[in-house]
Amino acid sequence: MIVAWTLVAVSFFALAILAYVAIRSRTRRVDLEKSAQAFRSLDIAAFRNLVDADEESFLRNNLPPTKFREIKRQRAWAALLYAWEAGGAATALARIGQAAQQSSDPKIAASGAELAENAFRLRLQTVGAGLHLLTEILVPDLQRRSLPPVVDQYERAADTLFRLGRFSSGAPQLAGSKRA
Amino acid sequence: MLSISWPTLLVWISPHVLLGVLAVILCKRRLYRECPYFFAFVLYEIAEFILLFVLRSVPSVTGEQYAYAYYATLLLSIVLCFGVIDEVSRDLFREFQFLKVAARRSLQCVTGLLLVIGVLLAVYAPGDNSVRWIAGVSVVNRGAAMVQCGLLLSLLLFSRFLGLSWRRRAFGITLGLGILTSVDLAIRAVRTEFNSDLWVSYLNLLATGTYLVCVSIWIGYLLAPEAKPEVIAVVPDDDEVETWNREFQHLLRQ
Repeated sequence: MIVAWTLVAVSFFALAILAYVAIRSRTRRVDLEKSAQAFRSLDIAAFRNLVDADEESFLRNNLPPTKFREIKRQRAWAALLYAWEAGGAATALARIGQAAQQSSDPKIAASGAELAENAFRLRLQTVGAGLHLLTEILVPDLQRRSLPPVVDQYERAADTLFRLGRFSSGAPQLAGSKRA
Repeated sequence: MLSISWPTLLVWISPHVLLGVLAVILCKRRLYRECPYFFAFVLYEIAEFILLFVLRSVPSVTGEQYAYAYYATLLLSIVLCFGVIDEVSRDLFREFQFLKVAARRSLQCVTGLLLVIGVLLAVYAPGDNSVRWIAGVSVVNRGAAMVQCGLLLSLLLFSRFLGLSWRRRAFGITLGLGILTSVDLAIRAVRTEFNSDLWVSYLNLLATGTYLVCVSIWIGYLLAPEAKPEVIAVVPDDDEVETWNREFQHLLRQ
């Protein structure tokens, strides 16, 4: 009996998600300015400082273990928030990239495809980074490994966005998404 | 064979008439080239209905023979449904080679997990049908509905998580199939507990009603004109983006 009602609850939950996705897909539009703003608002320097292995090594050598663990937890938590925001920015970048892909200008379309692909990579990387940082919060005594792939992906995405902006400077508008 | 009332007959026939309309749309727009599994699924569902309808109408066919035909055709329908899910997932990731690999791996993990849950369900909630093989097929069907529902939800959530755009057609197929499988899952679960004639007739009505809604969704999404290209008026400012780029370069040289 419990299993049957659990399955009914699961199916209702699934229906709720389907309804949500269906409604959102009709109302969602690519807001380029907002997405670019979200991208620009991220302070990569601060993030890099938070995950810097040398910085951590310095703190480890100069702080008592209890204080070090406390500080490390706070730093890892802050870095986790950055990773979360970077993930959101990556989703926005992917949307910009896909919108640009619809452009009749082959240069913009190619840059859009590259931007989208880099953004997808960044989005997936942030998941790995988030899990890594969560582990650090739970077990602060673990030796930190630096997180260059996230930073590298972010930089590549930024570089592609820069080129996208440069190619678009002559054209007042980009072609939009043709999709659902 | 048992006679059925006109309202029930109407509810049973109408989704399949709409499926015929859907098949015509798929043919006229040559969409069978882009979604062959979905086209095969639609044709198969129509053929299955005709077969079952004829069996139900022939007086010499017994209830047991009808049940054999029903469950046998159901198994192939499940297989085709998995084909359709594979088709929409290929369509979703078609433009990004990197995603094809990553998404395939993720979906394989999800499928594995859902299969384990399906097997556990088969072990702990086997149902109460008196005929052994029917009980077996019911369990397989319930497990398949759960795996399919889970896969379709994973596709929708994964695309949302990444910011991946759907083509209207593929989205409509996924949405319709998602509703169909999730309601089917609930119906199969409830049927194991409430199998009186009254409950069965209510659940059959719900199943065919849902089917009607889903076929309407498929037709709606296939017939709807493409969304107007969204005009994006604001392009990221060169200076601001360049400043960001310099910041990155400076940061990475440190």
